Amino acid sequence: MLNRQLHPDYKAIEQINIPVPEKVALDNHLKTFLFNAGTQDVLKIDLSFEAGSWHQEKPLVASLVNEMLTEGSKNYTSQQIAEKLDFYGAFIHPSPTKDFGSITLYTLSKHLPETIRVFEDVIKNPLFPEKDLRIHLNKRKQQFLIELEKVTNIARREFNEQLFGSQHPYGRKSEASDYDQLERQDLINFHKKYYHPANCKLIVSGKTDERIIKIINKHLGNNDWQNQQALNSLEYPIPDSPKLVSIVEKEHVTQSAIRLGKITINKDHPDFHKLKITNTILGGYFGSRLMKKIREEKGYTYGIGSNIVTMKNAAFLIIVSEVGKDVTRNAIDDIMNEINILRNSYVSADEMALVKNYMLGSLLRAFDGAFEISSTYRSLIDFDLDENYLHEAIRTIKTISPEEINQMANQYINEESLIKTVAGKYN
Amino acid sequence: MIKFERFTLDNGLKVITHSDPSTNIVAFNLLYNVGSRDESPERTGFAHLFEHLMFEGSRHIPSFDNPLQMVGGDNNAFTNNDITNYYITLPKENLETAFWLESDRMFGLDFSKKKLDIQKNVVIEEFNQRYLNQPYGDIYLLLRPLAYTMHPYQWATIGKDISHIKNASLQEVKDFFYHHYAPNNAILSVAGNITKNEIEILANKWFGPIESRNIKVRNLPIEPKQLQPRSLTVNRQVPFNAIYKAFHMSSKLHPDYYTTDLISDLLANGNSSRLYQNLSKERHLFSDINAYISGDIDEGLFVVAGKLMKGISIDEAENAINEELLKIATDEISDYELEKVKNKFESVYQFGQLNALNKAMELAYQELLGDANRINQEIDNYRKVTKTDIKKVAKELFNVNNSSTLYYLTNQE
Repeated sequence: MLNRQLHPDYKAIEQINIPVPEKVALDNHLKTFLFNAGTQDVLKIDLSFEAGSWHQEKPLVASLVNEMLTEGSKNYTSQQIAEKLDFYGAFIHPSPTKDFGSITLYTLSKHLPETIRVFEDVIKNPLFPEKDLRIHLNKRKQQFLIELEKVTNIARREFNEQLFGSQHPYGRKSEASDYDQLERQDLINFHKKYYHPANCKLIVSGKTDERIIKIINKHLGNNDWQNQQALNSLEYPIPDSPKLVSIVEKEHVTQSAIRLGKITINKDHPDFHKLKITNTILGGYFGSRLMKKIREEKGYTYGIGSNIVTMKNAAFLIIVSEVGKDVTRNAIDDIMNEINILRNSYVSADEMALVKNYMLGSLLRAFDGAFEISSTYRSLIDFDLDENYLHEAIRTIKTISPEEINQMANQYINEESLIKTVAGKYN
Repeated sequence: MIKFERFTLDNGLKVITHSDPSTNIVAFNLLYNVGSRDESPERTGFAHLFEHLMFEGSRHIPSFDNPLQMVGGDNNAFTNNDITNYYITLPKENLETAFWLESDRMFGLDFSKKKLDIQKNVVIEEFNQRYLNQPYGDIYLLLRPLAYTMHPYQWATIGKDISHIKNASLQEVKDFFYHHYAPNNAILSVAGNITKNEIEILANKWFGPIESRNIKVRNLPIEPKQLQPRSLTVNRQVPFNAIYKAFHMSSKLHPDYYTTDLISDLLANGNSSRLYQNLSKERHLFSDINAYISGDIDEGLFVVAGKLMKGISIDEAENAINEELLKIATDEISDYELEKVKNKFESVYQFGQLNALNKAMELAYQELLGDANRINQEIDNYRKVTKTDIKKVAKELFNVNNSSTLYYLTNQE
C-alpha cells in the first residue's frame, strides 16, 4: 500500500556545476566572456557599457541614448533597422539602468552575419535623428505620465528620493518636463563619451564555434570604434539623515503601495551572502515569513517580497507590497513584527534546511540554459566579480547557522531604522 | 523537431515524456482541462480561485510548497479561459517529490472554510492589484461582455465581479474539484534528462491508484454571429484617451487561425509592423499601438488596442486604425512582408523552446488540442498561409458588423 504521507527519498543538492566563461581575445581588447552552451542554434550577444544615468549630466540622457540606438544609424534608417531585424526574426533589446546602458542581440545563428551588421552599426554609429528623437520623447513622456498613476511607481520614486536624496542619481525623481529639455547634441555627446570598447563588457552565449567568434571579432572586435579611454567614476554623497516616513496620498485607490527599507552592504562586503540568506528567510521566496504572514495568514495582499538591490555604488534592502487600502497600517505593523521575531529568536532547523535547499535549487536553475548562464554572469561581471563569488555563496548557504542569521537581522534589519513609504491611503 | 513519447494510464491520465539530456532540471507540467469558460455565470472567477486553493494542502500532505522547496524545486500555476496549468521545476534526482505532491492534490484536497476565506481575500487583492488599481486595468472587464453575449468568454479569468469571489461557498469548491479535477481530465508532461520508462513507473505508482471521475460534460452556449457593430464609452481617471477594437475570429483548430495570427503580426509584431510604423512613428497618433489575438480554443477575439497621443481626436485615431485594417482586407500584401512575418513566427517559436519547461507546457497544450505532435507542425502550418488567405480572412474579420469598440476616455481634461 502506497504511503502518501511519506516524502519519497530525496537528496540534498550537493553539486552545482558553475560554468566558467572562456576568455576570448578580440582584436581591440574588448573584455569578452563566452559561454558555449545549449543545443539549439541561437545566440545572445550582450554588451554592457558603463553608461547609466549615474553618468549623465542632464536628466534622461543615458536612457534615451540607450533606447534611441536603434532609431537610425549611419547605414540604416530607423525603419530599415526594424525591417532587417524583423525579417531575420532577431531582437535587439536596449536596457538602460542606473549604472549601465546594455544592449543585447538575440539571433538565430544562421542569420548572425546579417543581424550583427545592424547591431554593429547601431552601437557604433547611431545618428539620433532629430525627428525620431522628438517622436520618441513625446511617446515616452506620455508613457511616463501613465506610469505615474500607479501607486507602486509613486512609492518607488518617493522611497528612492528618501534613501538617496533628490540630487543623487539613484534618488532623483524624473519629471515630465525633463522630456522637453533634451537636445540631440546631448545624446551625441553622451554616446561619444561612454559607448566604446574600453568602457564595455561583452557576454556571448549559445551554441558557438570558431566561425561565430570570427564574425563577432570582425564586427565588434575591430578598431574602428570612436576609441576612448575608460572614465573615472563620479562621486555623489548619500544623505546622513534621510526622511524616515513619507505618505503620498492618492484618491480613488483600492490598494496602497508600501516600501520599507534602508541602505545596506553591497556584494563586496564579507557579510553580504549571510545577509542575502537572512533576507530570503524574511521575504525572498514564496515560502518566506512575510509571504506566509501577510498573504497566506492575513490575506492583505496578492504578494509581498523583500530584496537586496545592489547597484554599482550603493545597495539597499527593500520590502515591497501592495495591500488593501484599509489594511495598510495593519500590514506595516505585521511586517515590523516579523522583523522583530527574526531578531529575537532563532530560525528552526526545519526552516534552515528549507531555505538552504530552496536557495541551492535556485542557483541550479540560474545555470540551466545558455541564456540563463549569461544573465547570471552579467550580475557578476558588472561588479567585477567572478565565479569565486558563487562558490562563496554556495559555501555560505551550506554552512550558515541560526545564530549567524540572528546576528545579521540585528545588525542590518533593525525595524527602527527602516525608511517607510506609503502611496495611496494610510488611515 | 521535438521528439516525445506518450502513454495513457488505466484511469485515463495522459502522459507525455520528452528527453533532453542537456539539463539537470526536470520540468513537470500538469494541465487540467478546465478554465473560466467552465464556470457558472453566477460564480465567475471560480477556476482561478480554485487554483489558489490547490496550494493550501492536500489529503495527506499539509503543505505543497515546503516539501518542494526542501528538494530545491520551484513551482507556479496559471488559469486562463480554457485551462488550469500547474508546473514544477526541480533537480532530476528529486523528481519523485513532484509525483508525490502533484498526485496527492489530484487525489484530494484538504478543504476548510478558513483556507477558503483567506484565499478569497488574496484573490480579491489580486483583482485590485491587477485590474482595479491600474490605469486601463479594467478594459477586459468591459470589452469581453461587449464582444460576447452568450459564450463564457464574456468574463475575464479573474471573474466578472468581486462579489462572485466573496460569495463562493465551501460546497461549491468541493463540487468543482470532483467535476473537473481527475486523471481522466488531465495531461501530464515531463521534460528533462529522463526516459519514458522511468516516468511510466513513477506515473503508475503515484497517479495509477487514483480512480477516474465523472467529469461534467462541457456544453457551452454558442456565441451567435454578430450582426451589427457595438460600442461602449467609459470615462476613467487616466491621463490619455484609449481605444480598443475587438473582432470575433476563428477557433484554435480552424485553418483560418494561423492566417489570423499572421494578420496580427503584419499589423503589430515588431517595430517594422504596419500599425507601429504608420500610425505611431509616421502619423504620431498613438503612444502605444498593438494588435493581437486572444489565443483561445473556442472562437476568440482579434484585438486592436491603442493609447492616443494628447490632442488627437478619438475619431481620427479610429479612422486611422480602420484604414489600416481595410488595407489588409483589400490590397495584396507583398511576398517580402508575408515572408517576414513567417520568419519572425519561426524564430519566436524556436526561442520559445529553449528550456525544458516551455517544451513540457507546449507538449501538454498541443495534446489537449488533439495531438502533442502539433508542436512539430506549427511552423509548417504558418508557412502554408498564402497572400490570398490573408486577404480573404481579413475581409471577414474586419467587417464592421463584427466589431466591438471600447472608447476609454480620460476625465482629467
